[in-house]
Amino acid sequence: MKVAVIGGGLGGLLSGAALAREHDVHVFERLDIYGGRFTNLPYKGFQLSTGALHMIPEGPTGPLALLLKQVGAKVDIVRCKPDACLMKKDNTQISFYNFRELLSSSAQAKIPALFMKMLIQKKGTVADMVWNDPEWLALSDSCCGWALSTTSKDTPAAEASGILKHVIGGGPGKYNTPGVPMGGCKAVVDALAGVIEANGGRITLNSKVDSVLVEDGKAKGVSVNGEKIAADIIISDIGHKLTSELYDAGLLNPKYAAVLKKVRPSAGIKICLAAEEPLVGHGGVLFTPYTQRINGMDEVTHIDPSLAPEGMHLTMSHQAMRSSDVQNEIKLGLQDLKHMFPDKKYSVLLVQSYRDDWPVNRIASGFDLGNLAPVKNLYVVGDGAKGKGYIEVEGVASGVMNMLDMLKKAS
Amino acid sequence: MRITQICVGCGHCKVFCPSDAIETCGVSRINDKCIECGKCKGYCAIGAITEEP
Repeated sequence: MKVAVIGGGLGGLLSGAALAREHDVHVFERLDIYGGRFTNLPYKGFQLSTGALHMIPEGPTGPLALLLKQVGAKVDIVRCKPDACLMKKDNTQISFYNFRELLSSSAQAKIPALFMKMLIQKKGTVADMVWNDPEWLALSDSCCGWALSTTSKDTPAAEASGILKHVIGGGPGKYNTPGVPMGGCKAVVDALAGVIEANGGRITLNSKVDSVLVEDGKAKGVSVNGEKIAADIIISDIGHKLTSELYDAGLLNPKYAAVLKKVRPSAGIKICLAAEEPLVGHGGVLFTPYTQRINGMDEVTHIDPSLAPEGMHLTMSHQAMRSSDVQNEIKLGLQDLKHMFPDKKYSVLLVQSYRDDWPVNRIASGFDLGNLAPVKNLYVVGDGAKGKGYIEVEGVASGVMNMLDMLKKAS
Repeated sequence: MRITQICVGCGHCKVFCPSDAIETCGVSRINDKCIECGKCKGYCAIGAITEEP
């Protein structure tokens, strides 16, 4: 079968690599680079990133690592040790597993009940799940903000519960904790592109898909820069909303159209820092529950020093955007950094904001719409079509797996 | 070159600009170091860069 993939982001490349062995795959990417929000941006000797912070949430044992292995994409994913720490109010750090130390005795007394709720609660938000208790909210906001670019108040409890189950995975000592792909995000997308091309597939850059060609309710191909290209299956990695703009609005069923109007992207800000002396001090996640805005940081150069010039560290912070005043959000983030590292020397390499048509997630986590579009033979992957209960790129991989299952069943 | 109001400030254009002519903080702006090479346009994630004045 001929498969046309719209967009060469992680979801598109994973789909292409998974299908290239048996099908004729052609990936169309609008930009000069493939990888979407999961590739490197070389800058002043540092490997910054287009989006993700050079981390894979469930490391070498999560769905992304599994799918990479399945498609034959060789990527070395190194588990972070320690996996995560918490920054206290006095700017010292403790292991994430010692989070009790941050809580008063009354908040600690809620731990057993909270764990039970986290495993079974299906309704409401994370804020509801933690009883809107300010001490717990500080922790949950930090986790939601770092992992999903959301706050506790807008993260469904069921999504958080699913994530917890997947991270806990095989039980103590077998947690699916974060890892760093050696070479950064680009190592992953380059490996996938290699698989596609080795199997005879193509990736064409600077190729904007203008429309999906539809006949009798079935997708029959795409129009790329005005040229009509026939395909049996079309996989879109540009999100449900932008995909829906590629075909006749009359094909949208009312329910799907209503949902598309309702869903919102999640927005965030990443601040990339250069430092000679480490700021975070390890390669794991540093959650920062007591800041104005920053939810967490990483310093992956402890694991892969090649992501910065020799003797330097690349440190990245991430924060969910809490208002539409982006300048103020950035100002508050920069203030947090000064407060957290008052005696350290660092320089700001780049401040990156993700919102509107280039957000952290095209649809906020927990509200993903699945892989089906209202046109036969057209599937959606990527963020906005993630599998339930997975963080970011793990959700993208899970969504691609779901789409592949659908294709198998359909054939 | 001109960056339009739809810019989200992702910084792709700044990183690929050969003449350090782009400042990014919330949104991106092109300063007078711009040599009109047009490279930034190919990397703009959302088509926010135009050659129109």
